Amino acid sequence: MSFTRPDGRGNEDKRPLHIIYERLDRVDGSARFGFGDTKALASVSGPIEVRLAAEQPSKATFDVTVRPLSSLPGTESKALATSLRGLLSPSLILSRNPRTLLQLVVQSLTPSPIESYPPSLAAACINASSLALLNAGSIPMTGVVCAAGVALFRSTTEEDIPALVLDPSESESREAVGCGCFAFLFRTEIAGSQPLPTNDTPGARLVWTNWHVKDGTSDDGELARAQALGLAGAETIWRAIKQSVPQMDNLPPPPLPSRSTAGELGIITQSDEVSDQDMNDAKIEI
Amino acid sequence: MALQTQTGTSTDLNAQIFQRLHPRAYLERFIKEDIRPDGREATEWRDLSVHVGSISTANGSALVRLGDTTVICGVKAEIAEPDLERPKEGFLVPNIDLPALCGPRFKPGPPSEEAQVLSDRLASTITAAGVLPLSALCIHPERAVWVLYVDATCINYDGNVFDAALIAMVAALKNTTLPTATFNEETGRTMCSRKLRKPLPLECLPVSYTFGVFDGTTVLADPAAFEEPLLDTSISIVLDEGGALLSAGQLGIADKDTMSMCVSAAKERLETYGREIYAFLE
Repeated sequence: MSFTRPDGRGNEDKRPLHIIYERLDRVDGSARFGFGDTKALASVSGPIEVRLAAEQPSKATFDVTVRPLSSLPGTESKALATSLRGLLSPSLILSRNPRTLLQLVVQSLTPSPIESYPPSLAAACINASSLALLNAGSIPMTGVVCAAGVALFRSTTEEDIPALVLDPSESESREAVGCGCFAFLFRTEIAGSQPLPTNDTPGARLVWTNWHVKDGTSDDGELARAQALGLAGAETIWRAIKQSVPQMDNLPPPPLPSRSTAGELGIITQSDEVSDQDMNDAKIEI
Repeated sequence: MALQTQTGTSTDLNAQIFQRLHPRAYLERFIKEDIRPDGREATEWRDLSVHVGSISTANGSALVRLGDTTVICGVKAEIAEPDLERPKEGFLVPNIDLPALCGPRFKPGPPSEEAQVLSDRLASTITAAGVLPLSALCIHPERAVWVLYVDATCINYDGNVFDAALIAMVAALKNTTLPTATFNEETGRTMCSRKLRKPLPLECLPVSYTFGVFDGTTVLADPAAFEEPLLDTSISIVLDEGGALLSAGQLGIADKDTMSMCVSAAKERLETYGREIYAFLE
């Protein structure tokens, strides 16, 4: 692979991950997720009272709103919200709280082009939603959904090996021949009582694909390879989320398996007052 | 399986009532017999027919029937000033309406969320596939470009409107002719020829193939309106006329091989039937 990325990353490298549990006061759960500068904030309220018209007798109504950084939400926000509802539903047990409302609001913190959300921003929205649902803890879940963006570049001069890159930045996804987002549901089947080995990921199942290629080739493997790269990205995100969960409630952080990995993943812990102060600053900034 | 004993004993329970009350069980029984409620096999498609040019007041139009699903699409061309950032590009504005007349699920009023999401999917598919290069709509850089309003309306909703609407939009664009236009810099006006008309230079003719996964295992091609709400997963594969993959969309739990299976099923359909869809429009 002779393809080099503008920011010097390897083809399968993500930008540093940011996982921050916002602890917004007026909602049940909230979290911020970012790939480098591509960030999204999500909040969850529920189960709460539902409008009579939207009430469902056998399960909770799941309402998702996506808001862009500037201007009013358009059809692209509605489309992403519908996708989010569809892809998060398999991870939630909505039938436990019938006749209630589960409200998820996702606020993009990155400017996006008017027509669409770039794949990495969509992935950040999905991951932030999963974190907020974990943070709320009020809705029973069957698993955690993690997503990653993938972009495809074709070299014109070199021998024709298309390069697939993970977590494309906005300029990369604009220039790429193809790009898309893949979301996976990570779920452990409760078969035995054996706990999972520390760094092992549970079985993942594809819940969302959104793949577009400009100049199509009839190469069957391309989609499968992009999907596999998306899965590899989603697995590292799942591990980062797992490491972040013990620090969610501002408890002293448990000894991490290795400090270097945590630093590499860029998890921001909020274990002491200093980082709490940072948190407040961040809130004002938003 | 209290349900089974109940239906086993009461013989007068009408099939239609059973379908209304227990749609999932109704479909399950059909699937168990390897047939679908409308008589199709799991991978069988409904009949497709495409007519073009039926709306004489539009620049191009198409009427598509996919089984009982009917979508009509008209293309209206107007002249506008281009975007400052893209002075040589025109505009392509696809939109679909799901009016109350097309089915009992739809209510009159402003476009429903479903219609907006469908419009957005169609727009992003047509843009991402590069059906029409926007530079071809330029009349005079920075001053005048064509705006193509590609408006589709669903007349009868019987499932899989996305596939039908995409074919209708592409066929309508294929049918569209634009008058030769010249921009007069002195007067600042655009003049159109009355006689000379040119077709649009379309670069690819995509066709979408939608599948649904029922009960986690059964893949149903071209889901009908009755089947759609019962499906766990919906998968849309868009191929161009050469069989190249242009986009893949999927929502809901799917196994890794389901996607590749749907891609090959879509290619098979393209080989057997797909090439004829736009061929007669040449």
